[in-house]
Amino acid sequence: MARLTSPLRWVPILAVALYLAVPIICSIAFATFPGGSFSLRAFEVLTGDQNLASAALRTLTIAAITIVVLLLTLVPAVVAVHLWAPRLRPLLEVLCTLPLVVPSIALAAGVISLLRWGASQGRGSVPGQISQTLQNPDLPLILVGTYVVLCLPFTFRSIDAGLRTIPLKAIVEGSTILGASTWGTIWRVVLPNIAGPVRFSAFFGTALCFGEFSIAATLSQQTVPVWLFTVSQTDFRASIAVAVLLNLTTWALMLLATVAASRMAPTRVIDDSNTADPAQSASPEKVTAS
Amino acid sequence: MALLLACFFLLPLLGMAIVAFSVSDGQGGKTLGLENFASLADRGQAIANSVRVSLVGSAVGAGIGAITAFCIAQIRHRRLDDVVAVLSSVLANDGGAPLAFSFIVTIGNTGFLFAALGLDSVGFSLYSWQGLVVMYQYFLIPTMIMVTLPTFVGLRREWHEANKSLGGSAWTFWRRVGIPVAAPALLGGWILLFGSAYATHASAAVLIGTGGFPLVTLTIADELRSGTRAGGEEAAMALGLTMVAIAVVVLFLFNRLQRMSARWLA
Repeated sequence: MARLTSPLRWVPILAVALYLAVPIICSIAFATFPGGSFSLRAFEVLTGDQNLASAALRTLTIAAITIVVLLLTLVPAVVAVHLWAPRLRPLLEVLCTLPLVVPSIALAAGVISLLRWGASQGRGSVPGQISQTLQNPDLPLILVGTYVVLCLPFTFRSIDAGLRTIPLKAIVEGSTILGASTWGTIWRVVLPNIAGPVRFSAFFGTALCFGEFSIAATLSQQTVPVWLFTVSQTDFRASIAVAVLLNLTTWALMLLATVAASRMAPTRVIDDSNTADPAQSASPEKVTAS
Repeated sequence: MALLLACFFLLPLLGMAIVAFSVSDGQGGKTLGLENFASLADRGQAIANSVRVSLVGSAVGAGIGAITAFCIAQIRHRRLDDVVAVLSSVLANDGGAPLAFSFIVTIGNTGFLFAALGLDSVGFSLYSWQGLVVMYQYFLIPTMIMVTLPTFVGLRREWHEANKSLGGSAWTFWRRVGIPVAAPALLGGWILLFGSAYATHASAAVLIGTGGFPLVTLTIADELRSGTRAGGEEAAMALGLTMVAIAVVVLFLFNRLQRMSARWLA
């Protein structure tokens, strides 16, 4: 075996680690040492900027609705497929993985084509009304729908794997015999049993909503990343300060998500399909990016 | 579930396709045609730039990522493997607006390290294809590590021993066993990196802004927002469709190649 001498093996690893760490360190330094002396003035924008507050609130709302809609549609669908139609599972999997294939800017283009067509039908018409409702600047439902779709590939895998590790059929049968309704069963029995994947979905969805720029910017919706871009043209230092915070928050959320997902697999072997990250065993793809 | 997918995914794509393929027939109506794709020629610069940045970026990322993953696997430390797997999967999803900001601060024209590294004298500019390549590495290298680490970890010990006991050298092992098993995964990783570099929009948009250095993704966004040029929107949709086509090919190839490697490592 070509065993490289031990210290040499660390060279590329440390080099990559350095490359990854330096921009973060520089950003923090830039935000906290304006003109060479320590100051947190750049962070005053956090409390002082009305637009940021409303963008943050808007993004939080979008994230909350996204997660609720995602779980309400995905969990019953996966449960139903597991219980009653195992043959349909591959189909569901393909459907859920499709959004990975489309770059988000292309999806944004498609969404715009629809919205413009709706608007061109006139204000009074049904498509026109729908188009307007979806783009309501206070609560852009169009983003909620799009983000749910973008979350699907990752959350489907997580929930699907979670359901496979529990004796779902027995649980549901027992619950039904004891007189619970289907929804009651899902809510009270199935969900607690897949707490890990559910948590993963929540963290992942939040991270996506706070990181997604392309679609929100193209649709001119003021979410946090879009606000960040706008403010960077007037107050660059403040935007760096917020960017650092945003980046660290998104990473923390993703880490939490990954840890939550790996909890369900107590002993992990990295070379089989039981990897820590449900997205890893399949095609990894960029989410918050592009 | 299916309804959501239909409304927010399939319909938009359909809409995009319809706009991309429809051309006015001169009497105010619309017919199907390929004229919008002909206008892609005017945007050749953007396509060429995108392909160039993606090719160079993915080659660099695949090389560095593969070497790093190989070294991590050689160290054979369970803990390290786990930490790297988690970190790389998190970083692979980076590429948003904050990434561009951190690079502007670091090696932009007034960045902390711009002068220190003597980047001026070598003619490096962050706001060009070189800068994009350097910045993209931030998520390309982790992506490559994430894809190839399981392969390198999975190259079995028993194979090394079998090779040794049959009188093979380290060189024979890599030539006859290691490389053939790892090659599909490496190639698949490289293709995947190309796809993700090609599709990146957010960080490029923040770094380059508009017009300075056209890329496919930036062109689409510009045409959608402004609609300055006649036929801009249709051209954007046509460009969008070509992006979808490229992404489909990338994922298909990646999955095929992954399966070739996984067959040995299962």
